[in-house]
Amino acid sequence: MFDTTKIVLLNTRRSLFSKIKEAPILYFFFILMMIGSIFLFAFITFFLTYSDFEISIHEIFIGIFSIFTIKSIVDFYNSYTKSETVAYSLSTQVSQIKTVFEIFLSVLMIQLILWFGLSVFYLLSLSFFGMSFWYPFEYMLFSIGIISSVFLGTTISIHFFSSKKYRLLPTIIVLAFFFYLQHYLFIVFISPLLILHLIWAIRHSLSSYLYVNRKERIKGKYETKIRDRILAIANKEITILYRDRLLFSFIFTAVSTGLFTGYLYINGNEILIPESLRDVVADVLPSSFIMLGVYVIVIYTAVFPSLTLFLNEEKTLWLLRNLPIKNDTLVFGKAATLGLCFVTAIPFIAYVSPFIGLDNILYLTWFLIFSYLAGIIIAFPLGVRYVGKKSDVLLLYTVAMVLLFVIGAGSLFGKFIGNNFELPIFLYFLIIFIELIILYGSLKLSSRSYALKY
Amino acid sequence: MRTGSGFNIKMIIVKNLTKTYGKVNALNNVNFSFKDSEITAIMGENGAGKSTLLKICAGILTFDYGEIKIDGYDIVKQAIKARENIGFLPEMPELYDRLTGREFLFYIASLRKIKNAKKIIENLTNLIGIDKSLDFELGGYSKGMKQKISIISAMMHNPNNLLLDEPVYGLDPLTSRTIQDYIKKIKGATIIATHSTQLVENVADQVYIIMKGKVLLKDKVKNLTSKYGSIEETYFHVKDENNV
Repeated sequence: MFDTTKIVLLNTRRSLFSKIKEAPILYFFFILMMIGSIFLFAFITFFLTYSDFEISIHEIFIGIFSIFTIKSIVDFYNSYTKSETVAYSLSTQVSQIKTVFEIFLSVLMIQLILWFGLSVFYLLSLSFFGMSFWYPFEYMLFSIGIISSVFLGTTISIHFFSSKKYRLLPTIIVLAFFFYLQHYLFIVFISPLLILHLIWAIRHSLSSYLYVNRKERIKGKYETKIRDRILAIANKEITILYRDRLLFSFIFTAVSTGLFTGYLYINGNEILIPESLRDVVADVLPSSFIMLGVYVIVIYTAVFPSLTLFLNEEKTLWLLRNLPIKNDTLVFGKAATLGLCFVTAIPFIAYVSPFIGLDNILYLTWFLIFSYLAGIIIAFPLGVRYVGKKSDVLLLYTVAMVLLFVIGAGSLFGKFIGNNFELPIFLYFLIIFIELIILYGSLKLSSRSYALKY
Repeated sequence: MRTGSGFNIKMIIVKNLTKTYGKVNALNNVNFSFKDSEITAIMGENGAGKSTLLKICAGILTFDYGEIKIDGYDIVKQAIKARENIGFLPEMPELYDRLTGREFLFYIASLRKIKNAKKIIENLTNLIGIDKSLDFELGGYSKGMKQKISIISAMMHNPNNLLLDEPVYGLDPLTSRTIQDYIKKIKGATIIATHSTQLVENVADQVYIIMKGKVLLKDKVKNLTSKYGSIEETYFHVKDENNV
């Protein structure tokens, strides 16, 4: 009974412990940040409760609900849809629907362990600030909401990767109602319907498994040039990014983030900030939106590829290690790919500039270059260090946190230079020049880190 | 069997090699010498250390103690030079799914700086019978097709030394025979890790049988077949004699 659930949970637990053993510092850092984030969240709750501002329970719910829905989508995808070992479970005499249901149960249990663990820590943090942590009714409703998020996440995971994507329609309608009604009780009350929807999805789950794991003979444009080694490595990486449609995705993100950031630059104060707080944040808010816009772009077009350039080599490492090329050549070849990724980020400037004014274009250009280089400097050595160790989500989170701090400091410093110096361009150039030197050091460090340690 | 030129002897020397995985001794103070123009088969049960030995010689895995020289170049201190002289085929070759077979081979040719790559690729793909599928992405290849591409990538720079882990596994009979004939023609040291006794009898000059990280037998294939009748019988004899 529940053999598949037990196996998935056992595998998840062992894999987590093995990763902790492989990268203890990274996990220590990650746990510290998780604890810090929850503690900070409790402090913000405390601060908002004892100030004039009102906290909306719906907004808190929507944040937690979204995180658990996304995590359920990813977990179910990894444990079922793209799992290399699930074929064994599916080929036994046990009904395939039952096997998929057991995988869903394991995903549900993982989310519940996380929810209860983290929420109890949050409530304890509240008590640390002298606030009441006795909210049994709300806690129960939130817990039902989290369980519903797993129903929804699993359903989305099954249908999104199926050839029949129209089956997502009921899910989209539920989400649309939820966002329209702006009340978390909607999700709580609709949970019986979500169970029915999930059962329907599980009954069709095999088609999405077969669809994702199908093999296609795709004809590609062939290449018959012998290139310089660095160019050959960069060309190979760019070809893969292009065929995975990531380059288009980068451009789309740059354009949409540019437009959205520009819109928030002008209207963000009115839309997002409570009236009582508007005067307080009026000065810092527009530049914060710019900073966050650049942050999103850099995470997606610099940090993500910097990490995956090496992490994706997990299974092909035998090939790279066996080739007679210097580590420097490999690292610089891969880093050269990021030059093209930067080009895909440039439309951000073009689309945000009409909103913030052309007189800010120098600062904006500098800030994008500064942040982009900072992203690579931080992410690249970590990607190389953990090549083949599958800690990618964790790495992304770690780099994202460190980068937020660096970009925040850079934004303040850049503004300071812009406001206090007559010719800020020289200082901007100097900072970029220094960053380039640090980048060179970072790549050299990556190269040393890549070498086999005999 | 292949015969050497007698000049300019190239070889792989493995001295006192020890490799552990945690508490498990994969290779325990073993010594090998693989001579030029000689095909050596490494046999042993699952987990005996065959693939580990090949990966260490190919420079993709570290070891705890010992020394390895490829054509006189130390695998640790002169890694680039040593790797230039090696062609390596792993047991389960994973390739770049989004590159076509042709793009992949040209990528390897660029990194290995192979002259006349176009002609070499054309000849080898024709010989191994993968030329018709070269413009398809590797993600859609079958196991055997991936094996063929990997074999070509291991051989295309005409290395002095070939390290092949189960080279004919997953191949159709015709390609398997073609590969075996090709291996026999190559000048240089060839090491084959395999479970196939038939392959050993067909191509190998000498055989090592290793178990639990130790070398239990080293001899010429013809001596063993005349003594025990076949390599399969030799294998079981060694196993029984050593109580493993």
